Order: sequence, then structure tokens, then C-alpha cells
Amino acid sequence: MATATPAAPAGRPSRARSLARREAITAYLFIAPYLIVAAVFTVGLLVYAFGISFTSLTASFAAANARFVGIDNYLRAMTDADFLAALGNAFWYFVIVSFFQTIGAILLAVTLNAKLQGMRVYRTLLYSPSVASSIVMSLIFLWLYLPTGFINYLLGTDIPWLTTPDRIFAPLWGAVGLGGVPAFLQGPSVAWASIMVLSIFTTIPTFMVMFLTALQDVPGFVYEAAAIDGATGPKAFWYITLPLLRPVIALVVILGTIGTFQVFDQVAILTKGGPLKTTLTPAFLIYQKTLGTGTQAEAGFAAAMAFILAFVIVAITLVQRRMIEQD
Amino acid sequence: MATTASSRPVAATPAEGRTASFYISAIVRYGLLSLIALIAFMPFVLSFLGTFKTNVELTTFPPKILPDQWGWENWARVWAFSLPSIDGAVMPRWIWNSTWLALVNVVSQLFFCSLAGYAFARMRFPGRDIIYSFIIATMAIPGVITMIPGFVFFARLGWINTFWPLIVPSIVTPFGILMLTQFFKSIPKELEEAAAIDGLSRFGSYLQIALPLSRPALITLAILSFQGSWNNFTAPLLFLQRPEMMTLTVGMNFFRTQFSNDFSAILVGAMFNAIPVLVLFFVLNRYFLESASYSGLAGQ
Repeated sequence: MATATPAAPAGRPSRARSLARREAITAYLFIAPYLIVAAVFTVGLLVYAFGISFTSLTASFAAANARFVGIDNYLRAMTDADFLAALGNAFWYFVIVSFFQTIGAILLAVTLNAKLQGMRVYRTLLYSPSVASSIVMSLIFLWLYLPTGFINYLLGTDIPWLTTPDRIFAPLWGAVGLGGVPAFLQGPSVAWASIMVLSIFTTIPTFMVMFLTALQDVPGFVYEAAAIDGATGPKAFWYITLPLLRPVIALVVILGTIGTFQVFDQVAILTKGGPLKTTLTPAFLIYQKTLGTGTQAEAGFAAAMAFILAFVIVAITLVQRRMIEQD
Repeated sequence: MATTASSRPVAATPAEGRTASFYISAIVRYGLLSLIALIAFMPFVLSFLGTFKTNVELTTFPPKILPDQWGWENWARVWAFSLPSIDGAVMPRWIWNSTWLALVNVVSQLFFCSLAGYAFARMRFPGRDIIYSFIIATMAIPGVITMIPGFVFFARLGWINTFWPLIVPSIVTPFGILMLTQFFKSIPKELEEAAAIDGLSRFGSYLQIALPLSRPALITLAILSFQGSWNNFTAPLLFLQRPEMMTLTVGMNFFRTQFSNDFSAILVGAMFNAIPVLVLFFVLNRYFLESASYSGLAGQ
């Protein structure tokens, strides 16, 4: 990098400077496409969307009737029943999905991380649910989740999984005589939990590959040394593998947080927020309010909700980062 | 291992002990992995077999794995599916839209991301590190959340019901730039320095030296961008509202209405969408899995 010698003989500096300038111009030409795209579609779009979050803009094209309303949209979002319910749903989704996808991915990676014949074939097969689109997986599960479908057949039940609004922790509260706790505390609905299962199923392989890559970077002698000290099997996993995976676990949890709070596709395809809004998510609500699908269009209000959610996501990932760095 | 053990009798006993537990753990591993692989792949097998069933078969209990009669009627019906407002079949159009959009994304991202990545990895210019940090920071912006209010922005540009929102913002992506910057940094630069002395320009050494050496990373990025565009749902759902402009992921929802689901058509549509990426994956799975080593970039 530092090959341009600053201690060049006198007379050279101006030539060196003009060369450096040419280099800089060329470099800026190379990154110009990115700079333009980022200026318009990242910065420009964000500023624009932030701007409309302070207006009463309704339909997307109706600029004429938009008034400046200050922080009214933000204040309204904080008390809006639908938005709060959606945030609650997203919170359960984040907690349950990111927990199981991380644990599942680690266990799968550890199982796959062996010098045995055919591991490549298994890895390929196991990764396939993550290759297809969330839309394909949702449509397939729409069919598998039918009351007459394969999942009920395997479990010996006849539950309409995707249309059942009953909340899964409600029986627990009922058992201790506290049936009347707020809906949020009663946990996700059966429909929402079914979508979580689908989501865990399709995301485990993505994260599994990340753990597997990390595991394969661990030199064999680490485990050999541990075996001499008597750490094998579960002990080796707990005291050696897990600490070594820490940075990847941190990354997976952060990526999982960002992904789960934005859940949209499965809801748009499978439930449209129903039954009884128990699968309504912030992203889907923002979509409905922006375009006015199934509700009145309120693009300004939708933008305010989007920025609140973005703030929540950034705040949670910052806290996660802080916690990871402290330990 | 066996040869060392036989040549050194002292080590024989512990080595044999290890072999027994080695075999047990191998059998457990194979068993467990076979079961999980079965579960992981089952939805595809069941729904592929389902495409040969009638709607009655698909919704009667108990479900059967194999269809009563094999026939391609569902596939033919979905291929010829038409909508009142549009001439001819829409399915081939949706597949075509998905395909060309994905290819445009691949080509433009390969070119523009590698060009920018080369500048960040190899060239000195004022503001380089600040811009690089900016790129990393933009990856933390929740995409779905900003894209949906962005609908209004695109509406102002007059881009609703055009393909522009699916092409222009993604001609170059932060992830692609970061990934290729890392890769360019990992390849030795002596060759380029020698070529520079021989008078090769920066663009020339990017094109003739750096790019050919980066084949694995470029293939990985090509696959990821193809998959990303082909599987994309939110953006086409937002911006492409005319049925003849839709992509496969959005168009398929015509088989699903509020009151009835045409499951045989849904499953065929799902297969049209899944099979191309699955085939691509099975052929190039080395590169797919390699992408995991770059995913750390997103969390920096």
C-alpha cells in the first residue's frame, strides 16, 4: 500500500501528486455507480421517507392533500392498537425463531462436522430448504398444514394450523388461575407459531453453513489436546466448541434479529395478518397502510411506524453487541 | 492410523479403543443426518408428487404419498393459465420476467460491485475509508422497513408498474462490494504491479488480471444475486401491479384466493419457482456454501 515513497527526491513531488490525483479520479470513476445509487436510493429514499413520516400523506400519489403534522404520526403509532399488537407478535417471533434457529443450526453443524464419507452429500441435501424462496416454502406448507394435510396426519391431529387464533401459553396461565392476563403474555397464536416453525425450518440451514465454516477452521489439535485433558463428547462441545463459536453465534443472533423483526413474506402469503390479527406484523401493517390494501391508505403514518420499527431493530442489535462485547 | 498402530505396538490398545467409539459415533451421525435430510427434503418430494394429483386427492384425508394416476395435466393447465385482461398464457411471461430480471441483476452486480471492490482493495484515494465504513453502516438499515415507505418515493419518480425499481437500486449492492473487496485483498498484487510497470492502466489490470483471478468469488456473487432476485417477493409485490408484468413469486398468488386454494396449481407454480434454483444449487453447491464465509461481512 505505502509504496509511494514520501521521501522522494526534490522535483518529484508535483509529479507524484499529479499521479495521485489521477489515481483518485480513476478510483472515483470506479465507485461512481455505487455513489450515485447510494445517494439516490439509500440516502435520498431514507430522507424522503423520513420527511413524509411528519405529514398527513394518505394515498401514495396524493401529495396535494398532505399537511405537515409534526410528530403526530409517531405519537399515534405509540398508542395504535394494531401497531402495538404487531410489535408484540414480532417480539414473540424474534424470541422464539432466533432462539431455535441458532440452537438448531449449531447442533446440525456439529453433527455435520465430521471427517466421514458422504458429508458433502448430506450438507447439500440439508441446505436445500434455504435455497428455495420463502414464497415456495410458504405455499408448500400451506398445503402441508391443511387439516387434511401431512402434518396433521403425522401428528394424528386435525388442527387448522393457520387459522387457529388460540394463544399457545394461555393454557399455562389458565392452569395457575390467571386466565385473564393481557393477550401479549398469552404468547403467539397457534397460527403464528405454525409460521414460526416454517421459518425455523427454512432458516436453520443458512445459519448451519455459517457455523460449519467456522467449525472447519478449528484446527484438529485443539480437540486432541482437550481429549488428553479428558474433555470429549458433550464436555468438549460445551467447553471448547461453543466458546470458539462465540463470534459466529453473535453474528447469527444479530442477523436473526434483523431478519425476524422484518418478517413479511410468510404473512403476506399465508395469513394476511389473521386470524384475529394474531399474525399481523409491523412490516405487513406498514405495507397495508402504505398501499391501502384492505385498509385506508395512510402513507405518512406508515412511514412513521417504519422508522419506529427500524429504531427498535437498531436498538436491540446495539444492546446485543454491547452484551457480547462485555462478556 | 492403522499403519502407525501396527508399526508401534505400544499405541495399539488406545487406538483400537478409539476405533470402536469412532464407529458408534459414525453410525449415530449417519442415522441422525439421514433422518434430518429426509425431513429437510420431504416437503419438496411431497409437493412434487402432489403436482400429479387432482385437487380432490390433494385435500382428502388420509393424504397419500403417491398419486392415484400419473399425468401432466396440472403442469399443462398451469402453463396455459390465462387471465381475462391479458392475451395468451401468463405463466411463461412470469417465468420470463423472473429470468431476465435475475440475469440483469447478476450481470450488473458482477460488473459494478467488482469495479468498486477493486478500487477499495487496490487504490488510494481521499475518503476511501469513510466511504467504506458508510457501506458497512448501510447494511444495518432494515431493508424491508425502508423499502415499503420507499414506495411513495418510487411513485413520485413515476416508476410504479415499471421494472426500474427492481433494476436500478440493485445494480450495485453493499454486500457485493464488501465481498469482492475482501477477495481482491486476498489475492497477491505482484502481478498487477508488474503489469503497471509495463504500462497497463488501472482499468486494464482490473479487467485482465484481477477479474480472471477472482472467478470463485464472482461465481459465488453471481449465484447469490441470481437467487436473491429470483426469490424476491416484497419488491415485485410493491412495484409490479399489472399481472403481465409480475414475476413468478408474485404471480403464483392468483392460484390462492380468499375462498379457495387451487392446490394442484399452487404446487406446480411452486415447482416452477423452486426447480431452477434447486438445480443451480445442486450443480454449483460448492459456491453456494462458500457464500457462508462471506456472510460475516454483514455483521461487521
